[in-house]
Amino acid sequence: MKQILYERLIQYILENQDRFYRTAYSYTRHQEDALDAVQNAVCKALEAYESIKNADAIKTWFYRILINECLTLLKKRKRAVPAAEAVGQDVYVEEAYEQGGGIEDELDRLEPDVQGIIKLRFFEEMSLKEISGITGLNLSTVKSKLYRGLKLLKENIQEADLWVN
Amino acid sequence: MGKLEKMKERYDAIPIPEELHVRVRQEIQKSRRQQEEGNHIRRSFNLKKVIRNMSAAAAAVCILFTAALNTSPAFAKEASQLPVIGGLAQVLTFRSYETKQDDIAISVVIPTIEMIADDTGITVDEINQEILARCSQYADDALARAEEYRTAFLETGGTPEEWAEHNIKITVSYEIRQQNNEYLSFVVRGTENWTSAYRESLYYNLDMATGKIVTLKDMLGDGYRELANESIRKQIAEREENGEVFWTPEEGGFTGISEDAKFYINENNRPVIVFEKYEIAPGASGEIEFEIGEK
Repeated sequence: MKQILYERLIQYILENQDRFYRTAYSYTRHQEDALDAVQNAVCKALEAYESIKNADAIKTWFYRILINECLTLLKKRKRAVPAAEAVGQDVYVEEAYEQGGGIEDELDRLEPDVQGIIKLRFFEEMSLKEISGITGLNLSTVKSKLYRGLKLLKENIQEADLWVN
Repeated sequence: MGKLEKMKERYDAIPIPEELHVRVRQEIQKSRRQQEEGNHIRRSFNLKKVIRNMSAAAAAVCILFTAALNTSPAFAKEASQLPVIGGLAQVLTFRSYETKQDDIAISVVIPTIEMIADDTGITVDEINQEILARCSQYADDALARAEEYRTAFLETGGTPEEWAEHNIKITVSYEIRQQNNEYLSFVVRGTENWTSAYRESLYYNLDMATGKIVTLKDMLGDGYRELANESIRKQIAEREENGEVFWTPEEGGFTGISEDAKFYINENNRPVIVFEKYEIAPGASGEIEFEIGEK
């Protein structure tokens, strides 16, 4: 049984590694950091795979680890970053993501946890229940934070769209 | 278009650096090694080892045999008259070599098809060239991957002695499945003992009447897909009753064969469809085969 879970986890990682990277990149906005975050998350997940309750929980379990890694890296970087900003260059920005900018800045202005919820819901297309599992917030908190974030973005989203899944 | 949709578009366009896959693979590899070490300690009586020693002995016989084919035209001729081999054509070892570089062992055995009968008008040069090219390519790529792994290993504090203990081995070899007057069927395999991500198996099935590659459609008729799918589903159900584990279609399991499904022809002249490790079941099951019988 354990062996099956282990193989399933490896398969899940291999199939979704590009998604992990995008998520990590959207948090760190930096290629090296995003790579580090994914690699650390994979390492930790494989070491701790026995703590997954069942195969269905792999996704939320893995994302929880991944996002924790991203946040840890961001904290570390905050101390190192000002030097780069002082010379007026943002060395961490990759063009494809930033082109036509402005919108991501708007997202950046939201509280970090609201940002995270919006990313998971709309970019990774996860259900509110999955997001609740990843963030450890209860379902109604996830809903209200998501709603608040969208309001701040002045985004016209049909309510019905929001509550699917 | 809403703001979020635009953001999602850009999000999906975030470029994936090539390095990502290398680093993820390294982590998985590292973890697999640790797992294996753990298993070794747990099981002092190691059945695997016994089997490995047994197959080593069998392999030694094979090496002798192929080496003889390679070196002695007289032996090759004699071998072709052995009753098991017979037929209009045969598969022989075209080239075999073993070498070692930076403690990476490479063993390559490249097959080639040889027509025994002269008057068939069938030429197999094209297939032979393709086999040669793909085997060489695989060996080169595998060596590059192993070197990359070695560099990473040494850069992250591993010692050359520890590296040598990994016993990295790259193998290219072939196995004959059927060789008679109707069909010639064999599989060429490339494997690396430290990662299963790049295993490659090429199946060659030739119709001896035409010299052409045989397809499933040739063997099973126009309805080959339905026929094969039905048979595989039935066999999966039977095996599940015996405790084998398959993934459900929702989990990425079997949903039907593809047009270029891999298969070989067995000793009963029936096609056997092969699924690679992880394709429809957990890795522990390895490759999975289904013989497709007659209707």
